[in-house]
Amino acid sequence: MLLPQHTYHRPDSLAECLDKLAHLDAGSVEGADRLARVQVIAGGTDVIFNMRLRLFQPENLVSIRSLPELQQVETLADGSLRIGAACRLIDLADNPLVCDRYPALKSAIDAVASVHIRNIGTLGGNICLETRCWYTNNSEEWRKGRAGCFKTDCEQCHVIPSSHTCHAINNADTPLALIALDAVLTIQSAGGQREVPIADFYRPDGIEHMDLRAGELLTHVTIPPCTDRTVFIKFTPRRGMDFSLGAVAARCDGTGQDAKKVSIVIGSISTAPVVLDAPCRLLEKQGLSDRAIAGAVAAIRDEMGEVTNLYGRATYKKQIAKTLVRRALVALREQR
Amino acid sequence: MAKHIMSIDVNGDRHEFAVDDTDTLLDVIRNQIGLTGTKRGCTTGSCGVCTINNDKGESILSCLTHALEWDGESITTIEGLEADGELDAIQAAFVEFGAVQCGFCTPGVIMSAKALLNKYPEPTEEQINEGLAGVLCRCTGHIKVKEAIRNDFLIRRERIRRALAGNAS
Repeated sequence: MLLPQHTYHRPDSLAECLDKLAHLDAGSVEGADRLARVQVIAGGTDVIFNMRLRLFQPENLVSIRSLPELQQVETLADGSLRIGAACRLIDLADNPLVCDRYPALKSAIDAVASVHIRNIGTLGGNICLETRCWYTNNSEEWRKGRAGCFKTDCEQCHVIPSSHTCHAINNADTPLALIALDAVLTIQSAGGQREVPIADFYRPDGIEHMDLRAGELLTHVTIPPCTDRTVFIKFTPRRGMDFSLGAVAARCDGTGQDAKKVSIVIGSISTAPVVLDAPCRLLEKQGLSDRAIAGAVAAIRDEMGEVTNLYGRATYKKQIAKTLVRRALVALREQR
Repeated sequence: MAKHIMSIDVNGDRHEFAVDDTDTLLDVIRNQIGLTGTKRGCTTGSCGVCTINNDKGESILSCLTHALEWDGESITTIEGLEADGELDAIQAAFVEFGAVQCGFCTPGVIMSAKALLNKYPEPTEEQINEGLAGVLCRCTGHIKVKEAIRNDFLIRRERIRRALAGNAS
């Protein structure tokens, strides 16, 4: 599987990169066509993969791997940690600022693919990970055996056949921890910059699954200080390589069963990470008792949305989501 | 499609050549430089047989790496492990413990093991599993591989002893 034809660009600075993106994106329209014109590449472990599968066929590749502005990890005046989008996952996993302050993020980073991938993959790349499903996650030749889908050349979804949108799964691990940690993304373009809470960044559409417009680049992730209990759990067929069948990040304040503020994020079950509402409000009222946890787990069902499948069946994944949430809450209760 | 001139340090030798936009590091290593020890497997990052080491001695998948991204950098392939006609300790350990079946994945496994040992000279079971997770042996011969990695330090120790004895005499 050779790479599709494209032109490679390697800007030397962030300003030059943003100019290049604005210039290359000029005249392009929102939607799948945007991907056809320009694609940003950092580590490339997801981009090259998708190019080989002919799911990405950009005219231009713009490399941000060596932009010095995107490589830094720094503590801000208010105690927040600001991480450049092109920081490698392996460097972040070894960074004491990340390990000591945000153990759930460290667990999430360690859970991403294999060490080979983490040695080159970046945090920004994991946040912008392309969505996939059992149909698209195969070679072009394999896919030819069936009709196409929204991601290729046909108006249908193989995951949920009656649907009018793409239901590919968001399989990224680090966004779950980042959502639980209330992280904020900095998105820059030649015209300026904006800040988006990562919880608002994802959309329930497998094609346009991120709030990222033409000419824009995710440049930094800012994580506010956190002293709460946090946990991240990922469930995979084989540890150390696979995409997850389900993953959960959870956070709460207090100690023992006492918790006034709870947040739970489930990933890898649908097109966008699912931030739970009612189960968290229930726990905030009743604390982390066995009974409250059982109640919260039972209440997940209404908020899971359309569960899609990559490796497991949807019914199985619903069960996994419940089990993971229960395990996460018990783990939170046992911390401190 | 324009060609680009790029240069890269492979096993300590500088190479300069013209590449296409569409070349990956794997294409360059095998087709331009002619080092065919690095194998082409799935080319989608699942199998790990194309593993090489970067300048920090970390394992990298050359099939998922855009060649032009690595302009000016240095890498080590399986051919670069032996020095002065002597196999690297990890290669010797693979021979010693028969950690090979069909042999196709062996370059990838050895480069992954090398990266693992660079980071953890005497790795735990958990660290070995983690370091090898990204590379598959379809013959399923992982037991002997792990045995070789566990005992790599014995070969290193033996070599140091021999070198010291040689100096003394």
